[in-house]
Amino acid sequence: MSEMQMALTNTAGITSVMSFWVFVASNGFKNRKDLLVKIGSWTLTLAFAAVTAAIITRGIDAQRFPLANLYESLLWFAWATMGAYLALAKAYGVRQLGWLASLTALLMFLYGSWLPQSQHDIQPLVPALVSYWRWIHVPPLIISYALFFLGGLSGFIQLYQAGRIASLITAAATVSLAILAVVLGTFTSVETAWLQILFAGASLVGMIISFKLLRRIDKNRGDSKLAETYDDVSYRCIAIGMPALTFGIITGGLWANHAWGTYWSWDPKESMALVTWLSYAAYIHLRVHRECSAEKLALVSIVGLLLTLMTYLGFNSLGLGGLHSYGNFK
Amino acid sequence: MNQESEKIYDPKTQSSLKNALASVQLTIFLMSLTALTVLIGAWCPQESASGKEKVIEQFGADTAKLLTQFGITDIYHSPFFLSLIAMLTVNMIACSFLRVFPRIKLLQKPLPFLSGKDIGKLPVNTSVALKGNDQSALTALAVRLSARGFKVATSGDKLLAEYGRFGRLAATVTHIGLLTLLVGVTITSWTGFSGFQPVLLNSHLDFSQSEHSKLWVGKLPTWTVRVDATHREDYPTGEPKQWFSKLTVLDTQGKEIKTQEISVNNPLSYDGVDIYQSSWGLDHIFLNFNGKEKRLDLQPMGKLYAAFLPLDQNSVMIFSVRADGIIKVFAKRPDWEAPRQLGEITKDKPAKLGPVTISLIRVMPVTGLQYKCDPGLPITYVAFAFIIVGVLMAAIPHRHVWVSLETGSKKEGATGNENKTDDMAPSKILYFGGRSVKAKVGFERLIKTLESQMASEFGIPKVEISEAQPTEKLNAGHTNESSAQKKKEHVLAGSSADSNAKDAQGDS
Repeated sequence: MSEMQMALTNTAGITSVMSFWVFVASNGFKNRKDLLVKIGSWTLTLAFAAVTAAIITRGIDAQRFPLANLYESLLWFAWATMGAYLALAKAYGVRQLGWLASLTALLMFLYGSWLPQSQHDIQPLVPALVSYWRWIHVPPLIISYALFFLGGLSGFIQLYQAGRIASLITAAATVSLAILAVVLGTFTSVETAWLQILFAGASLVGMIISFKLLRRIDKNRGDSKLAETYDDVSYRCIAIGMPALTFGIITGGLWANHAWGTYWSWDPKESMALVTWLSYAAYIHLRVHRECSAEKLALVSIVGLLLTLMTYLGFNSLGLGGLHSYGNFK
Repeated sequence: MNQESEKIYDPKTQSSLKNALASVQLTIFLMSLTALTVLIGAWCPQESASGKEKVIEQFGADTAKLLTQFGITDIYHSPFFLSLIAMLTVNMIACSFLRVFPRIKLLQKPLPFLSGKDIGKLPVNTSVALKGNDQSALTALAVRLSARGFKVATSGDKLLAEYGRFGRLAATVTHIGLLTLLVGVTITSWTGFSGFQPVLLNSHLDFSQSEHSKLWVGKLPTWTVRVDATHREDYPTGEPKQWFSKLTVLDTQGKEIKTQEISVNNPLSYDGVDIYQSSWGLDHIFLNFNGKEKRLDLQPMGKLYAAFLPLDQNSVMIFSVRADGIIKVFAKRPDWEAPRQLGEITKDKPAKLGPVTISLIRVMPVTGLQYKCDPGLPITYVAFAFIIVGVLMAAIPHRHVWVSLETGSKKEGATGNENKTDDMAPSKILYFGGRSVKAKVGFERLIKTLESQMASEFGIPKVEISEAQPTEKLNAGHTNESSAQKKKEHVLAGSSADSNAKDAQGDS
């Protein structure tokens, strides 16, 4: 990794940490809120610019499209999360999403920085990845994952604004446990079978309880108008993430057909992407037919977030193999 | 959207079977069940992809036996999964023909122009009292809407603008795509075949070992393929960069028909069959030991290949072969810590080890060829195109804006402007509002922006007072309450409504 690239990546990491705390502070100091939000937005814009430059520098250093391993995909994920948030903030003026978007980006930076040196180094491509399909197939997927994350995070704020505090806390704990499973799977040698149970068990139990707890409403919290806004934001993220995911899956099929002679081979990662696709297809059907309350839909978007996490990071770290193991480093 | 679709498809008038098959609850249920099944398939190694051994290795013999019994190790071919897909298909066909496709008709129906009174009932609506008496405000609004991609139609003092009309076809296009995909996949499954064969240099690929589905009605080709040459290209570090094989297609009489060099991502196509470079290796070497020819089988060892030749009970000779054909000769004895290198053999240079001269006759490479015949592929690709276009269209919000320019009368029409026209000579009021199925908040913001633009350019000066409280004028989502009730609500909501409006405006 060149010094330039290192400096840019570090700048992006540090500024995302700063914007996170400024956004958090903006929720605390009511009278300075506008100023703090402005500072937070500018810091995040700086982080976005830095990571954009870092990705470009890495591409120049490597003399190839810089999206070939887990570390590089994390940079892209952080880039997409911040970019999508900035666009949403411009279109909707959604401020509370700011701290969650910065938190997501900085967690990705942190996760990336903990990866072994071999991931940071620029490695030659394996034969299977030498193809122009790589930059057609992968970026839409990473962008769709980032949008689905933001969709789920908007769902969290929507639950808060709708006064569904108990449900919100359970769902947040569920996602935290899922993240814990992924982190343990990546950085420790805990048996993957236990982590699979932790991820799947926590998700299943946690989300069922969250659905049950929707009945408990804290009338003193939240703001129904803002809940409506975040509902709309969540839907927007998913409505744009869905074509990106579909495009990514289908171009993956075209690439696979070109390279391996079959567009679908039930590879675990393919299957996981299909599961994610089906879950968001269900979300869209639920929404179009208005058979669900907005809060239930928010929880469905959080289920989608868990599946996205599984597809993107859980897949390698929890020991599901297959043809897409480029992110593997153990 | 829902109300309109009910006009076309009324569950009450349909038979209960049709109802059940076309129900969205069933869709959601089947989708969830399919997702769960695929999830299990992603978790458990599949026999068809990674072999039975992998399952046993991961779960132990007993659990593996249990998993096999329940069909989990080959879940995508299990009767359960196949019937799930069949049910999803039936459900999709029923939904498509009963609900989705009939919506195309709705697009052809022109919508009426609305009066100020009706505009006041729309989900998002507002009004601006104008200082002038002419139509310039209406024209300006039409220009603004066109600039934002709306298709504008006018009729006298009324205007109707529509955005993202084709977004409404999203479901239709996606469903056509999914049904087409099913047709393509079925054709391939009934007539296509595929397989993998490792082929040695100068040997032939035939299609006798092809795999195909149970309901197969296709036929296998009679021509064969000969491997004329094959080699590996490396990075300077020794990692493989690319594999190449020169292939010749031969007809039944052995006549050469076509010759092509293939590599990963660059297949040969002939007679509807595609042949892919999918793996590469060295299979064996022929060595000459003092004039005696011996074949040694090779095993892949990291970047290299190795052959083992036991000399006696304790010592073994190791031949380490690089992809470019350079062989290093080692010997290993139990009392040595590491194998010792004895010499090196290349194509032109034999190794002399004591009384024995070892020379290389040839290295035999093996190329892994994957082949497939996929007659449904063109249809599948068309389906892919439909699906991509369909889901892209789903992101387009479908919006309508109605505008009406009417002579001011404070009692009727849109709400929230009572005090604006007080003490004024009769003037014109611009009523406008609309609806958006998706991205509602963005639409509210659009109307709000247009309102403030209209008010500052054409509105009477007093408007500025009410501009400080945009939410009061913009009554999203509350359409049927009386103005009095609304006023009360606003008083109660007070400062929080005000801060919402600010929050909603945000960084724009």
